[in-house]
Amino acid sequence: MMLRSLSADFLKIRGKGIWLLIFLAPLGVVGIEALNFGLRFDYLVGKQYADNLWDGLIKETSVFVPISLYLGCTLVSSLIANVEHQLSSWKQLLALPISRTAVFSAKFTLCVLLLAVSCIVLSIGTIILGMSLGFGTAMPWKDLLTMGYFPFLASLPVLSLQLWLSLSFQNQTFPVSLGVLISLVSPFFMQLSEWFPLNWPLMAFHSEHQLWFIGFGIGVGIIIMLIGLVHFNRKDVD
Amino acid sequence: MSEMIIQTNGLTKKYRGRAAVNQLNLEIKQGDIYGFLGPNGAGKTTTIRMLLGLIKPTSGSISIFGRDLRKDKLSILKRIGSLVEYPSYYGHLNAVDNLEALRRILNVPKSRIDEVLEIVSLTSEARRPVKGYSLGMRQRLGIAASLLGNPELLILDEPTNGLDPSGIHEIRELIKNMPEQYGITVLVSSHLLSEIEQMAGTVGIIREGQMVFQDTIANLQQKSVHHIKLVVSEPESALWIARDLGSTGSLQENTLVFPNMQDAKIATLVRRLVENGHDIYRVEQEKKSLEDIFMQVIGEGV
Repeated sequence: MMLRSLSADFLKIRGKGIWLLIFLAPLGVVGIEALNFGLRFDYLVGKQYADNLWDGLIKETSVFVPISLYLGCTLVSSLIANVEHQLSSWKQLLALPISRTAVFSAKFTLCVLLLAVSCIVLSIGTIILGMSLGFGTAMPWKDLLTMGYFPFLASLPVLSLQLWLSLSFQNQTFPVSLGVLISLVSPFFMQLSEWFPLNWPLMAFHSEHQLWFIGFGIGVGIIIMLIGLVHFNRKDVD
Repeated sequence: MSEMIIQTNGLTKKYRGRAAVNQLNLEIKQGDIYGFLGPNGAGKTTTIRMLLGLIKPTSGSISIFGRDLRKDKLSILKRIGSLVEYPSYYGHLNAVDNLEALRRILNVPKSRIDEVLEIVSLTSEARRPVKGYSLGMRQRLGIAASLLGNPELLILDEPTNGLDPSGIHEIRELIKNMPEQYGITVLVSSHLLSEIEQMAGTVGIIREGQMVFQDTIANLQQKSVHHIKLVVSEPESALWIARDLGSTGSLQENTLVFPNMQDAKIATLVRRLVENGHDIYRVEQEKKSLEDIFMQVIGEGV
């Protein structure tokens, strides 16, 4: 039943610019790095990362990943929720013979799948950038592939929270403002403990205990998702 | 007695202590078109949302197809098609894609999309984005969507709201055919009796959350007070004769008006007047329109 709802959701997001966002956002991050390395080529390539160019590129890029992920979670949740809010389609959708659990899990799965696509695009984009900067083919595959996914898994709590809020509020101002705020202030919490939740995505890639942060991300993400699900199941639909 | 498709018992929904729907006992027979009437804000939409499981009743029970809505919600919803207030659609998609999004959830064959578009005569417009549709076309698309799952019961909330006369006519013809052609029972709400009276067999009138009338249209008509009007040559003395016979009337602009007079009494009065040498110019019955009756029912205090 969830799969049927998911397939309907894929149809509904057609032409809403969501796919554009999914591809453009990671390419934007790659673009920033292209600019970064282009402007400071002599310093970054000649001195700073001369020993290990690929690691340098990954390190520079990974700083932007958490912010982008938070923004991505916020916008994707809001856009997906808005497809139903816009013409108050909830009453029609939820009067269909489908459980609310299936509807909610389909929306959550859709967000996860879309953001996972963004992560792949980020990896591919970074590889292409590195190659065109002439870093050679001896690249650290594992890091390139996980630079998107590990932080993404650690940011699942924010995705769950944003999806819940976006589905709950007809007016998207509050959820979107909160999401943008989270992503903008997240770098300033770096001084705090690495265990501060907003630092998890960065730590999931950089820390020695990265598995811990990924585990916490998935765990807390599922807990918030379940709370949102219970609320969604009970609420009255206007 | 034929089988009840919908039966509610003491259905109540309270918002912050105020009852939007209060102790409602709805009874809808199979194969009927049930007109659910009431002024705006009387609780029609709230009731319909409860019937569709969109909001939970504060108290009372709902039984649809003889089953408890709370226990068998999904299997009941499978047999219902609905259109609540304004039709919901995804404006950026065309009619076919809109229906496809619902079809994937309902899991009915693809051919069903063409069938329902045919029923509401939208086949020729099917590939246009719904954004550009007129209100009437959107409403028809909404009805197409509600028919998609081959429902046995159709619940339509104000389907003619905001339509022009020809649009209202189209929707009415569509609804009228449902029981005969497809064996579908219909619950249709409206705040205008005139929209309902030509299609509904039974009406339920709700006022401030409470049912004030629930019976056939014919019985609603009988509920009205009919006036008998007489125009005679000497109205003042005629009034006295009538009083002798036990009928109290009044004189309004040289016309005698008797409320709710039985046929036998009219005959006696006329005979007596003729015997007394009155000339009788006219005996007429002033029939109230259903709209007047509706206002009368709604206006009555609890």
